[in-house]
Amino acid sequence: MSNTDSTHHDDQVGHIVPIKFLVLICCILLFLTVVTVWVSRYDFTEINIAEMGILMALFVATVKATIVGLYFMHLRWDRPFIGFIFVSSILFVVLFIGMALTDSMAYQPSIIKGDTPKVTEAMDKLAH
Amino acid sequence: MFSTLTSLLVTTTQGAPSNFWLPKQASTVAESVDLTFFVITWISYFFFFAITAALIIFMIKYRRKGPEIVVQGPTHNTILEIAWTVLPLLLVAVIFVVGMRGYLNLMEAPEGSYDVQVTGQKWSWTFEHPKYGATQVAQLTVPVNTPVRLLMTSNDVLHSVWIPDFRVKMDVIPGRYTSLWFEATAVGDYSLACSEYCGKDHSKMFATVRVVPIDEFEPLMVKLASEYEDMNVGQLPAYAINRLYNRCQSCHSLDGTTGTGPSFKGLWDRVSKGDIEFTSGEKLSSLLGEATTYGLPENYIRTSIVDPQKHIVQGYLGSMPSFQGQLKDKQITAMIEMFKHLSELTDAEGNITVNPDGTPRQ
Amino acid sequence: MTTLTTPNPTDNYLNHTTGIRSWLFTLDHKRIGVMYLICVLLAFLLAGVFAMMIRFQLLTPEGTFLTQDQYNQAFTVHGAIMVFLVIIPAVPAALGNFVLPIMLGAKDVAFPKLNLFSWYLWIFGLVFFLIALGAGGIDTGWTFYTPYSIDKASSMGGVIPALIGAFILGFSSIFTGMNFIVTIHRLRPKGMTWFKMPLFLWATYATAIIQVLATPVIGITLLLLIVERSVGIGIFDPAMGGDPVLYQHFFWFYSHPAVYIMILPAMGVVSELISVHSHRHIFGYKFIAYSSIAIAMFGFLVWGHHMFTSGQSPLMNIIFSLITFSVSIPSGVKIFNWLATLYKGSISLNTSMIYALSFIFIFSIGGLTGLHLATLATDIHLHDSYFVVAHFHYVMMGSSLIGFLGGIHHWWPKMTGKMYNENWGRISATLVFIGFNVTFFSQFMLGSKGMPRRYATYDAFPNADLFQVYHIWSTVGSTILALGFVICAVYLLHSVFKGKKAPANPWGGRSLEWQCTSPPPWDNFADQPEVGDCYDYSVLEWNEEEQGYVWKKDAVHPGE
Repeated sequence: MSNTDSTHHDDQVGHIVPIKFLVLICCILLFLTVVTVWVSRYDFTEINIAEMGILMALFVATVKATIVGLYFMHLRWDRPFIGFIFVSSILFVVLFIGMALTDSMAYQPSIIKGDTPKVTEAMDKLAH
Repeated sequence: MFSTLTSLLVTTTQGAPSNFWLPKQASTVAESVDLTFFVITWISYFFFFAITAALIIFMIKYRRKGPEIVVQGPTHNTILEIAWTVLPLLLVAVIFVVGMRGYLNLMEAPEGSYDVQVTGQKWSWTFEHPKYGATQVAQLTVPVNTPVRLLMTSNDVLHSVWIPDFRVKMDVIPGRYTSLWFEATAVGDYSLACSEYCGKDHSKMFATVRVVPIDEFEPLMVKLASEYEDMNVGQLPAYAINRLYNRCQSCHSLDGTTGTGPSFKGLWDRVSKGDIEFTSGEKLSSLLGEATTYGLPENYIRTSIVDPQKHIVQGYLGSMPSFQGQLKDKQITAMIEMFKHLSELTDAEGNITVNPDGTPRQ
Repeated sequence: MTTLTTPNPTDNYLNHTTGIRSWLFTLDHKRIGVMYLICVLLAFLLAGVFAMMIRFQLLTPEGTFLTQDQYNQAFTVHGAIMVFLVIIPAVPAALGNFVLPIMLGAKDVAFPKLNLFSWYLWIFGLVFFLIALGAGGIDTGWTFYTPYSIDKASSMGGVIPALIGAFILGFSSIFTGMNFIVTIHRLRPKGMTWFKMPLFLWATYATAIIQVLATPVIGITLLLLIVERSVGIGIFDPAMGGDPVLYQHFFWFYSHPAVYIMILPAMGVVSELISVHSHRHIFGYKFIAYSSIAIAMFGFLVWGHHMFTSGQSPLMNIIFSLITFSVSIPSGVKIFNWLATLYKGSISLNTSMIYALSFIFIFSIGGLTGLHLATLATDIHLHDSYFVVAHFHYVMMGSSLIGFLGGIHHWWPKMTGKMYNENWGRISATLVFIGFNVTFFSQFMLGSKGMPRRYATYDAFPNADLFQVYHIWSTVGSTILALGFVICAVYLLHSVFKGKKAPANPWGGRSLEWQCTSPPPWDNFADQPEVGDCYDYSVLEWNEEEQGYVWKKDAVHPGE
């Protein structure tokens, strides 16, 4: 028999999520995926915010990740500490991407300008 | 033995000779880098000997006398713990500041440094002196007591320039410029080694930094820049393949491999016969001969160096830049002579087998 | 009430069931630990052969023993096997798997099937490495730097299988980490609060956190590299508009915490060895425990110190250098606490203790030379030279591996039920210590004098003759080292067949694994044991008949 540890009472059989609910969440996620694909093809230059496409895609991705975390990963019904652990791992992502990007931006001036022959070749192929 | 001991204690005076830990100092920054090194080393000696002494003394003094012995002893001492956390912290803070100062000095080249452009590629170094239009391969000549800045890039993979006697190092990255600077303090020859693994001949990717007296430098450079001026036609191919080909290397191979541009191997054969088709549909043969665009095959080659977009070879994208202004007329003549004699200058795998002065390369 | 368990003392985990399938499909953490141990040691032997090839090549400046391509493969394979197959799993998977649940008085880890799966993933990783060797070999260095590792024309054909192998091994590591975290959180016995755990468990816990948090990053990096090499997406390849320095950020974000995965468990072992074999309560328990967590956390903030000359911006260089110094402090704290534990102890100079003392000596040098490398001005000179090679061998091999060996010897009686020959053990440990230092100390000078690393030949240097002297010392040292290992293998194997029967507690340890038989029964403990202070040895006494330690008759058991 497994031991109980001294600080914690074992949880009872956990909260069960109804299948219908999970299917609903899945449909919502699929819909949001369609939204993302549409956003990637739509030409946003009319709205004067060129990065709108990327902003929308990132926003949708965040919403999807939150839904997956809350419902598929059961965080909505778990102890807050579990959610805290999940969120704190984001800190490490921020640290990593943040430092790498900061560094990247700092040495941008020394990058040789212009496309390399391979890139030109690839772009030409795309254009035809 | 005694000299080893004294060299352990070491000197950080300018121009110090090589000692137990470090090679000779030959640049202005070497002195401060070495000083930093020895500060850290002496702190390390202190802790190392203290720890080792404790180990040995305890090992002997507290050796187990018998299996029935039970010992007690202190199990914690907060003051001690804080002491040996805070004191090392202060020490390393000092080391950090010293190191950072030395580093900032290494990073900022002084105003008016003499610029050299460095290109690393598997597995050789090319040095160009834009001020004089001179190119050196595998050797970099610089004047003594003058700040020199190297602006570097790679043609293929990561490399790194390390000149141990100067205490400078910087990676060389394709698609990007990096730089390092130094001011040599003594005339002589110094090693420049590649210190970022780059493949098969990484350990052969060497150059020599030759530091010459200031008044000798300019005449040497001028002579180098125009070394082809006094050459006769027969000497030009060896000069071209060693001094000029490196500019073409990233797109044009010598061994038959098609790259961004056609290989130079067998090129002259095809050109002289006019056996080349262009994207416009024309054939070169129709453009050679009497009263044609080019007349002689040599002219076609000359044009394709200074105006490459004029006729683009079928199957290529026409991405060659123009070398107008970069190469003097006689240098282009040298290139043409190189094409004509290419099979005498390279081996079957496309390696160059001749030195710039025409002697065979081992 | 402490429990020496099972009514039938001759039935133990080794003979409880028989047949190869009872091992390959076992869910018993002890058997999994033993399988890991055998596999890791065999991989160590393989990588060691490549190391000897490297050393023989470097005996002469022209290096005629191997071709350049062969040498480049030798150092790549040596590094890749040692890092991914040997040192990362060594203490956690081979020793931790065996010892951790017993130390907790538990029947097994929290997820036994996941545990077995981890072992199988290790095997699959090995298989892919072997495929890589057959598919053209690898010569990129274990770091797989771009663009060299992307260029199919210049690097060899085994790169993608090797990357897949490393990816799989990453998961082996992640699952082990997950298992240990849950086990330590959930399966501690009554009386064992966090600050009553043996320090080995603190170290393992800190390691497990790093394993779970950092390893996925190398996973995605290797995946991106595979895609870059096969399809050419242009993320790391400058010819396609990518950034090779970005690859280095990705790679080192994992690989630096990885070195703490390698060293922390070994430090945990050393904490146990020093305390048990000097028969004295560990000094500064809380500080050692906290320092493990501090090293784990700070270890995530310093990866850029591998990139000081790579084109990383000066701002980043300064930040990383500053934080790197902070990591040295907790390590120093441990060394001082161990020395204070030896003070006024009663030191048995047996084999495990010799390894522990070697650790302190060697790790001090390794850590102090890390200061030279953390300092910006000196690192510019020392980066990518033999100084770095010497430094990391001092900490990875001289510390991690020696901690591993010390742990093997310490828990060998428990795992096999047999005692090895102590005299041969001491001889072998001394040879390893001497051989190690002779091999690697001269490499410090080689590096600071100007010899770069990953060089198949060094005849291009004007002072090649001086370099050769250092290289010869190094190769001589490596043969002494190899001899030490061979002797160790011989007497350990011999003990399995002909060794004296081991008592439950040969060394006088107080943690729970010493309160079950050697070897342990199938289910570890019949009843859940209770714990007191696991470093209080005053309750134990030597029993001449058993040739081991037992509880004193009048000692008060915890919980009574």
